[in-house]
Amino acid sequence: MYGSRAWTTATSPKARSEASLLTQRRRHMHPSFFRMGPSALCITCLLMVGFMAVLYLSQVGQVVAANHQLQDIRNAQAALERQNQDLVDTLTREQSPAYIAEQAQKMGLGPTMPPLGVDPKNLWVVQVSHLQEMGQGDGPLQP
Amino acid sequence: MSIELRRARSRQMVIFFLGCGGMIILLGRLYYWQVWQSGSLTRLANSEHIQNQILNAPRGLIYDAQGHLLATNVVRDDVYITPLQFASDFTDNYPTELSTEIHALHQVLPSVSEDQLRKDFGFSLQAVRVAEQIDPGQSQRLRNLHLPDTFLEPQTWRVYPSGDLASQIVGYVQDGKGIYGLEAKYNTLLAGKAGSFTAETDLNGNPLTVGASSEQDAVKGANLTLTIDSFMQYFVQTSLQDAIQQLDAQSGTVIVLNAHTGAVVAMAGYPTFDPNHYGDFADQKGCIGSEDVYLNPALFCDYEPGSTMKAFTMAAALDQHIITPDTSINDPGYLNFSDGTPTVHNWDDEGYGKETMTQVLQHSANVGAATVATWLGPNRFYPYVERFGFGQPIGLFQPEDPGGYRTNTSVGWSESDLTRQAFGQSITASPLQVVRAYQAIANSGVMMQPYLLASINDNGHIVTTQPQMLRRVISAETSQTLTGMLISTAEYNHITLPGYSIAIKTGTATTQGLSMDQTEASVAGFLPASNPQFVILVKLDRPQKTIYGGTAAGPLWRTIAQQLLAHYSISPDQSQ
Repeated sequence: MYGSRAWTTATSPKARSEASLLTQRRRHMHPSFFRMGPSALCITCLLMVGFMAVLYLSQVGQVVAANHQLQDIRNAQAALERQNQDLVDTLTREQSPAYIAEQAQKMGLGPTMPPLGVDPKNLWVVQVSHLQEMGQGDGPLQP
Repeated sequence: MSIELRRARSRQMVIFFLGCGGMIILLGRLYYWQVWQSGSLTRLANSEHIQNQILNAPRGLIYDAQGHLLATNVVRDDVYITPLQFASDFTDNYPTELSTEIHALHQVLPSVSEDQLRKDFGFSLQAVRVAEQIDPGQSQRLRNLHLPDTFLEPQTWRVYPSGDLASQIVGYVQDGKGIYGLEAKYNTLLAGKAGSFTAETDLNGNPLTVGASSEQDAVKGANLTLTIDSFMQYFVQTSLQDAIQQLDAQSGTVIVLNAHTGAVVAMAGYPTFDPNHYGDFADQKGCIGSEDVYLNPALFCDYEPGSTMKAFTMAAALDQHIITPDTSINDPGYLNFSDGTPTVHNWDDEGYGKETMTQVLQHSANVGAATVATWLGPNRFYPYVERFGFGQPIGLFQPEDPGGYRTNTSVGWSESDLTRQAFGQSITASPLQVVRAYQAIANSGVMMQPYLLASINDNGHIVTTQPQMLRRVISAETSQTLTGMLISTAEYNHITLPGYSIAIKTGTATTQGLSMDQTEASVAGFLPASNPQFVILVKLDRPQKTIYGGTAAGPLWRTIAQQLLAHYSISPDQSQ
């Protein structure tokens, strides 16, 4: 880009003198970066390397922090899953027929015939005419 | 060149060669570590900072027909102590710290004595397990205490929230592998597929997201849904246990099948076991002939079906149009054979005189059944025995004893075998085979394959079991006629339920070599007889208070039938 502009400018010799043209061309071709002395250049490079290192370490630090967060989340997830399993286990135990029967007995409820049935001698079946069956009537049951 | 210069050159050369030698040695050493030992050193280094973890797949769950859990998984902690580390951490005041630590541990784990803990701390070991599978509350208390050199190790355990409910169907898991029952049969499906996780770790062993890592997810096991109804299963189990205790019997089996589909609604054996504590039952015997309480008696414990077999003899003769329900014979109470076949006696040695085939079933007359068998002959009797499924395994799960019998093609067969098989002797069958054969009678002569598994949910891929027809055993007409005879038998035996028709046959089997009062009392049948919904078999081994099928197993059969009718809201099929 610099070169292109320089050559474009150089194509108008009538406007400027040859010396000023050369100076101008040098200025365009050598920006301030190249005009640095070796010490300044070294310091600048060191600063840039240092800056890059700080940037990298900062990124790594963020990743490590994120990693810790991820670990915490995973641990929390495992704890919740474990808690959920325990709750499901407790719920199932308390819904099991044996538990319900035990609790019913503790409450003073009991079967009329062991363990839960009704004595057929005391059972009356009342026939109600004109009743319609619910569901599919003769179809097989799906226990 | 002067001598001094030459000496100097020589010294320089010596130093040069010494330097070269040193360099060669160093290079050799470098080669040894960097190339020769590279593999092992890399492995050692990787083992320090790369974690290779196996991700266990959660075992599939088992549900009953209503979606109640029968088998699930929980995580429980094992408690470890590190005696050597503890000793090095508390060198100055070891006895005091040890007493404090032991006291604190004992407070949380009262089942572990202080003496035992002191003994465990005395071991010169890196780690010692002091308690296994502790409660979640205990785990939390230990975590809160922050005891030094004590840590918790989580372990996944298989648990059965309903305890012994359907335990002889479900089986149990030991060291991650299904043992017995459905846990064993479907172990591969239930177990799933373990995954793996490899990553670099930090000092605490936590995996780092920075750096190379690879993860292969575990595939969790398939969930199984059974045909078992937990409520009926519980009712059947507790009723069976009560009956066995009341009658002072040795063991027993009850099976309830869906008459149309062959689905197992309930299947109970007694004695049984709690799969959560299976080790406690290792010394307990199961049914007769079984040394193991873990085996399912419905499949494994075959027996002589006794008089329940007479229904099949009648079925064969009706189907062959040899008899009708009104065909009559003269029953003097015994039957002699001219070819030397041993005389057949009725169970009560009574002679009933002229009796119809229906009355043969009502009286449970051996003479009548043996007579019908001789009319049929072996060529027409045995094909029916085979079609009813005797001697053939059912394949619900292993182990199974399919029983057996001799036919006219077997070595050593005689006419005596035929006549005795007609009333359930000289033939053995599992309870499930007997109830399956009655299911064929109930289902208009069509036998269905009994099944326990309603569906498999393999990570979203659901496979539902369709009822499978095995074969037509007898014609629908024969089935209907025989059902009528079995209804009469139920009424004769006073096994009735108001409003419902019941079709049953009782059985009282004795074993050769044992006294006649050591019986296997059973009742098999179905209801409502006009439109059968359930087939039930009750079998009690060696009842002492009363020894006959009708009086020992009959009341239990009726109790279970009544509960089924109420539970499934089956309408009465008879007016009172």
